[in-house]
Amino acid sequence: MNWLDRITEGSTRKVARLSSRRSFLTRLGTVVAGTAAAVPLLPVARGNAPEESRAAAPDESGMNGEEFDPKSCAYWRHCSIDGFACSCCGGTQSTCPPGTELARMTWLGTCRNPGDNVDYIISYNDCCGKGSCGRCLCNRNEGDRPMWMPPKNNDTNWCQGVTSQSYHCTIAAVVGVAVADD
Amino acid sequence: MLVRAAAVIVAAVTTAAGASAHGSELSPAANYMIHCMGCHLADGAGNPPDVPDVRGEMGRMLSVEGGREYLVQVPGAAQAPISDAELAAIVNYMLETFNAETLPDDYRPLTVDEVAEWREHWLPDVARVRQELLDALARRQTR
Repeated sequence: MNWLDRITEGSTRKVARLSSRRSFLTRLGTVVAGTAAAVPLLPVARGNAPEESRAAAPDESGMNGEEFDPKSCAYWRHCSIDGFACSCCGGTQSTCPPGTELARMTWLGTCRNPGDNVDYIISYNDCCGKGSCGRCLCNRNEGDRPMWMPPKNNDTNWCQGVTSQSYHCTIAAVVGVAVADD
Repeated sequence: MLVRAAAVIVAAVTTAAGASAHGSELSPAANYMIHCMGCHLADGAGNPPDVPDVRGEMGRMLSVEGGREYLVQVPGAAQAPISDAELAAIVNYMLETFNAETLPDDYRPLTVDEVAEWREHWLPDVARVRQELLDALARRQTR
């Protein structure tokens, strides 16, 4: 599949940056004429989990039901995900699968954990560098904004600042708690 | 023009919803995570040259004319779906967290009134304004 990855990476960088995630995926494997990416691709990944995930994530052990299943679109952390859940792709809800690179520039959302009724800040980092996972496609858009507000849009291909803009899957890492201002 | 008008409309529509999603406004640190960290990263390093490194530079910006306003007129700040009070709090948080060593001696936090006035005049040519401010800073340092 390396030849497919090379074709995809070389010809869809600009399309991926400007198009929604779903339209990008439909073009996967299609040769599209385009210019080189305007965004420099820097290898800034430092491991396969966001550094901020050292923030305390809630204990989910012993919790049952779809809301606590990382492979389900109903998983509580997936309230604003748009993409393939890495839990189904060889990774976990917080770590990228082997062979992919964590993109640190990311879309962030806020989801309520039904176990403790606390709002957590979720980082939906994309894992990049391999063809699309193709499993567990979830599209929930709480807090999403239209494409012309890119920093608040989860359709954007967030494989930015990494070696390859080829999107594989998305994690949902807890990076903080949405604490009210006292 | 059309996009700018649409952005203004959506900002007006969504500001109220975004600010009270949790029944009260969030802390500056939490708001930084939600609205800024995605691009500027947890330590403020960003991804130059496309996403500025805010460490140190924001504090230095306060030392040149136009720099204080610039901080809330860049699109990511001016168009964020948050209230003026929240934006003021976030910018002050960034100044005091990532720029403590470069703040001017007469530093004073941004006020809500300043933010309310300045963010209405967001910058269509951010790169040019940014370069002008950096040039002004460079001239100050060579004097």
